[in-house]
Amino acid sequence: MAEWNAYYQNEDEYVDRDEFEVDYKCAGRDSLVFLVDASKEMFIRGEDGEPSPFDMTMQCVHSVYTSKIISSDKDLVALVFYGTEQSKNPRNTFEHVYVYHDLDSPGARRVKDVDGLRGENGAQVADETMGSGKTNLVEALWCCSNLYSDVKLRLSYKRLMIFTCRDTPHRGDCERDRQARTKAGDLKETGVVIDLMHLMKPGGFDVSLFFCDVVSPPEDESELGLQMEPCGKLEDLRKRVRAKEMKKRSMASLRLNLCLGEGMNVAVGVYITVRQTKKPNAVKLYRDNNEPVHTKTRLYHTQTGSLLLPSDTKRAQVYAGRQIVMEKDEVDVIKKFSDPGLELIGFKPMERLKLHHHLRSALFIYPEEETVTGSACVFTALLRRCSERNVFALCKYTQIRNSSPRFLALVPQREELDEGQAQIEAPGFHGIFLPYADDIRNLDAPQLPTASDAQVDKMKEIVHKLSFKYRSDAFENPVLQQHYRYLEALALDPMAPEHIEEHIEDHTVPKVKMIDQCLGSLAQEFKDLLSHCRYTATNIVTSWPCVCSAEEAGGAEKKPKVEMSEDELRARVQKGTLQFGVKVTGTKKRELIDTLKAQLAK
Amino acid sequence: MARSAKTALVLCLDVGFSMSNSATGQEPPFQQAKKVIQKFVQRQVFAENKDELGLVLFGSDNTKNNLAKDDQYQNISVHRHLMIPNFELLEEIQNDVQPGSQQADWLDALVVCMDLLQNETLGKKYERLNIVMLTDLNTPSSPDQLDIIIGNLKRAGITLQFFLPFPVDGGGSNPPHGGKALSREQQQGLEMTKKVMMSLDEEDVTGVCNPDLSVFKRVEKRPMAWPCTLTIGSSLSIKIVGYKAVCEERPRKSWSVVDAQTHQKDDIKRDVVYCLNDDEETEVQKDDTIQGYRYGSDIVPFSKVDQDQMKYKTDGKSFAVLGFTKQSMINRHQFVGTQVLKVFAPKDDEHAGVALSGLIRALDDLKMVAVVRYVYARNGNPQVGAAFPCIKEKYECLVYVQLPFMEDLRQYSFPSLENNKKYTPSEDQLSAVDSLIDSMMLVEEDGEKKDLFKVNHIPNPQYQRLFQCLHHRAVNPSVPLPPMDPWLTTALQRPLAVATRCQAPLETLKKKFPLKEVVKKKELKTSKELFGNSLGTGISTSLAVWERVGLHSSLGTGSSASLAVWERVGLHSSLGTGRSTF
Repeated sequence: MAEWNAYYQNEDEYVDRDEFEVDYKCAGRDSLVFLVDASKEMFIRGEDGEPSPFDMTMQCVHSVYTSKIISSDKDLVALVFYGTEQSKNPRNTFEHVYVYHDLDSPGARRVKDVDGLRGENGAQVADETMGSGKTNLVEALWCCSNLYSDVKLRLSYKRLMIFTCRDTPHRGDCERDRQARTKAGDLKETGVVIDLMHLMKPGGFDVSLFFCDVVSPPEDESELGLQMEPCGKLEDLRKRVRAKEMKKRSMASLRLNLCLGEGMNVAVGVYITVRQTKKPNAVKLYRDNNEPVHTKTRLYHTQTGSLLLPSDTKRAQVYAGRQIVMEKDEVDVIKKFSDPGLELIGFKPMERLKLHHHLRSALFIYPEEETVTGSACVFTALLRRCSERNVFALCKYTQIRNSSPRFLALVPQREELDEGQAQIEAPGFHGIFLPYADDIRNLDAPQLPTASDAQVDKMKEIVHKLSFKYRSDAFENPVLQQHYRYLEALALDPMAPEHIEEHIEDHTVPKVKMIDQCLGSLAQEFKDLLSHCRYTATNIVTSWPCVCSAEEAGGAEKKPKVEMSEDELRARVQKGTLQFGVKVTGTKKRELIDTLKAQLAK
Repeated sequence: MARSAKTALVLCLDVGFSMSNSATGQEPPFQQAKKVIQKFVQRQVFAENKDELGLVLFGSDNTKNNLAKDDQYQNISVHRHLMIPNFELLEEIQNDVQPGSQQADWLDALVVCMDLLQNETLGKKYERLNIVMLTDLNTPSSPDQLDIIIGNLKRAGITLQFFLPFPVDGGGSNPPHGGKALSREQQQGLEMTKKVMMSLDEEDVTGVCNPDLSVFKRVEKRPMAWPCTLTIGSSLSIKIVGYKAVCEERPRKSWSVVDAQTHQKDDIKRDVVYCLNDDEETEVQKDDTIQGYRYGSDIVPFSKVDQDQMKYKTDGKSFAVLGFTKQSMINRHQFVGTQVLKVFAPKDDEHAGVALSGLIRALDDLKMVAVVRYVYARNGNPQVGAAFPCIKEKYECLVYVQLPFMEDLRQYSFPSLENNKKYTPSEDQLSAVDSLIDSMMLVEEDGEKKDLFKVNHIPNPQYQRLFQCLHHRAVNPSVPLPPMDPWLTTALQRPLAVATRCQAPLETLKKKFPLKEVVKKKELKTSKELFGNSLGTGISTSLAVWERVGLHSSLGTGSSASLAVWERVGLHSSLGTGRSTF
């Protein structure tokens, strides 16, 4: 048992420490500003009980905050309102702009703040603190631009999302519109990407009136650009925000060459689209002030006590009683086979990719036209033909210097869009890690009888009853959710941790009652089919009444096992070695055996 | 864990003078055989098991064996008696085992090996006794004793394996790769080997090998069974046993840090100190630190008590069905985790077997999977995963893979490629890609669909290289590390046939798709590194045949169960198809 556990620990360590780290090396922090309209219109509830646009926006902001804390807690987020009565900004130079949160990484307080702005109460809180007033987007955008420039850290990615349900914020004031466009232009010039999250309004939201010139143009001519349809539902808004917020970051990727052959190098980026998010490690704090401390590791000589430099050490392993010593450099260099990159070996039909060939999460490969011009075109041609011909490309993958090669199956993925023209699947190749001979274990499969058609059919009914539409984002990790729920509570109220009784809804636990209800009598019917059959090589279903009676007789006790063939049972009865192996009183046992004997004598 | 019983094996190497002969440009059979032995012993040493090994040379200049008398059993030398192999043996093979100038009857050598096995295993328990014979069969041998020898082999339960430097099914008329035609002695010897092998196991008529190749198998790390119960609601439960089927295998040993002068681990002590984040990096005592967790920008102090209280608790192991869904709803590229489990019913539980089979077949017919909650053990982290039906000729099982949680997904969107005019390839370009794909298909469609590049047959090159270097350093402590084994380099490259075939389509592709590197000032330095092609291509082809076939199979990786797969596949396929050559 210990062995499995040991493996689990190793896994974590290995994956975290080793190669994946590279992909997340980032040249700076990501930043995101929510610029939210706080005019009266934002607080009007939808006709069919839909929450108000403001409420929906706050829910989105709240979920972005909490998800940032879990998955990328270094990112900076700001929340700014415009069209407010009150003004609050760093130098208080802007009218009707209320900076609720400046650019910083979100923490417990902020989550609570945003939580306070949700629902009916939230609307009231917003009214009391900020109120609704005149709208001046010029000032609002200017203020946001200052937020970016005030940050001392290096920002790798700057995004601004405008949430509003008004398509003419300045009510046709052309001068203001013009100024706002200019200001937006300045922002875009400094690398800020502006998105519009427009919300449903009576009469429809006309993007062309004003906002089409404010938002950033699509990243290239092909991108679908501005979504013309406003969001009416919270789910849609969440999805749209999530998609934009998760926008790929080329800095976070690994740039490699996909070598098709001598002198034919296509530049590609390697991305990770699925990665297990783990509970973060604990940090050490100094008891007196709760400030984090850092550790330093030193090596010193046991005898002389002198500090040792890395060059004063070597690496060793012992085999067959002999110590084998190498330099640290040698140990590293042994792992080197070839320079980092992807090397095409050939192609194989898709059915050669086995389901169980899985070792780690897959990679995602997308061309880097900016590095080698022409890459996107070859890549697209390759993607298209691989997909049409139903083949995958087999590649040798060397991730970093001194990492030994792995083989990847590059599976073509063509772009998929949903009805709303939002991208569900991005175009590119999925890189599936293939196992080496060492990674595949030899198992001895037990030889067991198979199910009859009747049993299979009954099970099909069960499967039908319990079928559902799986979605990969349907399950939250209960371990993480619970961890952060507790942290959030503790962060807000450190004195009363025992009052935390929030329980998360754990979707990984089966809803047993519901399942039982769904199945009704099916479960029993399947079990009956099992106990009524006799297992033979040819698997003929034979009714075997005697066992049923035996089962009924012993029903009050633990049920006897009924897994012997009739012949075996007969032989055992004759030899008198039939045992039920459970607590059956002597008389009962005798009765049982007598019944059996009588039955078999027929 | 119960240790499996050990094996006793005698390597019987022909060092006679004919073993040194070879066609020009080819490595003599002796050298090739020596390499096989070195690889095999190397693997045994690094495997660190209890298997014992002996080495008998025949055709040697000296004579050293129990049976030698008068002119009987001459030029046969027991070089090493049965014992656990070590680096001394490797050194002896490297330095002392040299080609001789004599010849000896390989049947005589076989008898010496049998004698050695029988004498030295007396009174001890072995799971298996085996003799591996490496010879070119180029000596006249007297077949009159053959039947007696076969009888003795059978009686003693000794298995036998031959490694020959030529294909076994080609006869003598048509040497495959420029080798010499077989001599009369060799043809005669081949007939005798076939007879021996056939009599030892009547089923195996074609290959000159015993199908029971498990002699090279070491079942050391037995697959760990994970017994559990598959549940559907509260009323349906099926007893199951899960096994890891696919999982990244790593060497069992890791490097330890030693003092550069003394090479002593104990001379080095590692010391961890805690420092405040002030300018002086003031050291504080470990006892003065507490634990905390980050919650975004906040750090929340967290006592052990808090930690225990907030830990997510599970009741124990679980394999509970949450529901069923279409297989098409599960995206293969979203698999997470680092392993694949195969789930069976317990070995003797027919009841569970039939029930599980019902589920597997129902799922298979409906093209569906079970979505399950998996918990390895009490207080283990729960997973959500998919259990796929898997029906093979010999068994049925569920294949379990972990699926992502919402927090694990990063749904980046990327600019469209095919809807972008700039990147749309022309028909001309597409057909160039088509020819490339055609020329580089690794699975040949004609007839039996041969796969030219099976990744799951390649041993992990990292460990092959590691053991090569460890071996080298152990035997030659002060010499720089050796270059990569050529066979390993070859095994990781585009197969020669494909590389040749794709030359022309590749040239066309280059013309049709101009690529131009964008030189950015900052990246000037790295561009060379990016575009450099440093892969060596020097391969000795004649070597490659032997090595691909024979060496792979006997290479050590330090991991056992997986090794077995390789061996079975490597040896069996090679010997079975008669490509076993050296």
